[in-house]
Amino acid sequence: MRQAGTYSGILSGKMGPHLLPLARIKKIMKKSGDEVKMISGESPIVFSKACELFIKELTQRSWMVTMQGKTRTISKEDVASAVMATDLFDFLVNLVSGEATTPLEMETKI
Amino acid sequence: MDENVAASGSNDDDGIREQDQLLPIANVGRIMKQMLPQNAKISKEAKETMQECVSEFISFVTSEASDKCRKERRKTVNGDDVCSALAALGFDDYAAPLRRYFNRYRDLGVDNKAANQDKANNDSNSNEDREEQSSLKFSMIGISKNSSMRPID
Repeated sequence: MRQAGTYSGILSGKMGPHLLPLARIKKIMKKSGDEVKMISGESPIVFSKACELFIKELTQRSWMVTMQGKTRTISKEDVASAVMATDLFDFLVNLVSGEATTPLEMETKI
Repeated sequence: MDENVAASGSNDDDGIREQDQLLPIANVGRIMKQMLPQNAKISKEAKETMQECVSEFISFVTSEASDKCRKERRKTVNGDDVCSALAALGFDDYAAPLRRYFNRYRDLGVDNKAANQDKANNDSNSNEDREEQSSLKFSMIGISKNSSMRPID
């Protein structure tokens, strides 16, 4: 039996601040596929931590690329390079190679 | 939310990410900064790229987790499924600490004394950046009914 108090506390933020909004995480999870029907209360919480770890790892790797140059500003190309250099991030390869043409800018012109 | 004129209702998500499907740029930026020295800067585009990568990460792992549920004829994706999916996709380094983090939640929900003692110990650590502290220590503090992020003074 799940302890309702514990989990509702988590979701309503009584637990203390989360770094990432749980409702948004849940939305993104739902959009990942039609077969995703139901999501337990704790999975967005697990994801919020997983995303934090992911962001930190990718940031660290991007920074290593940045440091090879003269600037101290991480550019999107640095992030893309970090993705290309890491097998674990293969699933992102298409996403970052598409970044180069900034599709949003293209769309606005229409 | 409606700044992006291009956001259409089409199902084609390639390259077009509506703001709803991204985690807030401020939150993402904050986490990124935690990893960097003080003199480091992050371009807005880099943050935007990171936002998209995180969303893709969530979708990627969720698909794997929900596949597993389907095979096992379960309807609900739970925390363990997410951990298993992470391990299956190569994120072993995340899966173990996440399981511990998640299990502490379940345990601490029962035993508040342990949570409060842990919190007392951890609060005596450095108090440089409260925001960073609360985020980093969040995993250690876990659940506590009395938990409210008071200033560490």
